[in-house]
Amino acid sequence: MREELKCRDFDLYRATYCGLCRTMRRRCGIMAPMVLNFDFTFLAVMLAPEKGEQLTYCHRCHIWPRRRCMCCQSPALELAADESVILAYWQLRDKVQDETFLGGLGHRFFALMLRSAYRRAAARLPSFTEAVTRQLSALHGLEQENCTSLDRAADTFAVLLRSAVPCSQDEAKDRAMGQLLYHLGRWIYLLDARDDLEEDRTKGNYNPILLRYGQQPCDEQLSLTLDNSLSLMRAACGLLDFGRQTQLIENVLYLGLPLVQRAVFDGSWKQLKKQKIWRNKI
Amino acid sequence: MNDPYSVLGVDPGASDDEIKKAYRELARKYHPDNYQNNPLADLAEEKMKAVNEAYDAIQKQRQGGGSSGQSGSYRPQGGYSAQSSNPTFARIRSVISAGDLAQAERLLNEVSDHSAEWYFLRGTVAYRKGWLDEAMQNYQIACQMDPNNMEYRQALAMMQRGGAGFTPYGYSSDLSDCCTTYLCLRCLCPLDGGLCC
Repeated sequence: MREELKCRDFDLYRATYCGLCRTMRRRCGIMAPMVLNFDFTFLAVMLAPEKGEQLTYCHRCHIWPRRRCMCCQSPALELAADESVILAYWQLRDKVQDETFLGGLGHRFFALMLRSAYRRAAARLPSFTEAVTRQLSALHGLEQENCTSLDRAADTFAVLLRSAVPCSQDEAKDRAMGQLLYHLGRWIYLLDARDDLEEDRTKGNYNPILLRYGQQPCDEQLSLTLDNSLSLMRAACGLLDFGRQTQLIENVLYLGLPLVQRAVFDGSWKQLKKQKIWRNKI
Repeated sequence: MNDPYSVLGVDPGASDDEIKKAYRELARKYHPDNYQNNPLADLAEEKMKAVNEAYDAIQKQRQGGGSSGQSGSYRPQGGYSAQSSNPTFARIRSVISAGDLAQAERLLNEVSDHSAEWYFLRGTVAYRKGWLDEAMQNYQIACQMDPNNMEYRQALAMMQRGGAGFTPYGYSSDLSDCCTTYLCLRCLCPLDGGLCC
């Protein structure tokens, strides 16, 4: 929630976003920033080192050359940039597989454009690439067998997101970070499924929520299980030291995610999502 | 040991009240109730211990280093550990608290007698794995089979509240606070200008 952020934190978020865009372009080519999104900006914020001055610089935006913006630069951004490209590429491929030849043409085209960016990123992060392909094919398998378990379906994406953070030397930190990311992944997957619920119902696509609850109303139980995931994320966050990023991350966990959750459940998310974040008035 | 002031996140020149306030906030944060059944409960316990030690150390220093005095710090009573009369379940409980969920699951699958405790333990394993929907279902069955068991009821009630948790200062649903922050932000930041990217 932007209104609740201090200027300092908002600047940090914006600099991370712009920095991620620029890092993607530099490392993976001009097509890469196309897939830039806020989920990975948040990941970059979480990965950033807690201490020390962050290197920032001023540059002109590629998309809007009249604007100048501050950018962060750090190894965490490089990691987040590569991971975004890998994940976006495989998600596109996955969509291509699900659709008919003609319906999938758009996605096929995007995937083709992203291919060289993906190759570069995948060469640098073989283990993450392996985890993404493994988890997405597990998800594909569950979709084929019409898996009725919310937890099993969400587990695939949750494990995928957990593998986005490399191991450090500190076991306690890794465990807490693992729990935070696992439940973030679970939350994203289930909320996304809830968002697509009506569409999947009419089109007859796979949706774990549809199979789990059938025609019964499910919102109360579903929001409860999502709240439990949020609680586990917050508990894990309390054990981690994010230094300068703490306020920003707490804002997302305590205000941002619950806001999105409410909006998805009452149907206002589809409008909310289209607003531009830098100028929106939520 | 680390500097006790940095453990509490306060300046060495802070007043006694400030220290007490910082200590209380941290003690509230790492309170075992917030980590009930949480796989990270042991880490929270360590943090709690460090915070208690830091607070005691500062108290001692400020009282002139002499008598240990009575410590004002909060001491948790130690998590409850329910005992199981059934040796298999007792073993499964110890495997779960050691964190070996795969082994606990294997052992549970070998049990043919599906009692209330079996469902409860299955719920606990699912909860620790992060499979919260299954955890809830199993806890519900356990409570239906044995409605008087406090342990099962506590676990289910915690999930029905949306999980245990602590809200840091400033994130409560206090609306007046949001508004003031919002107004301040609008005054201070020229966010609507062409500066934004």
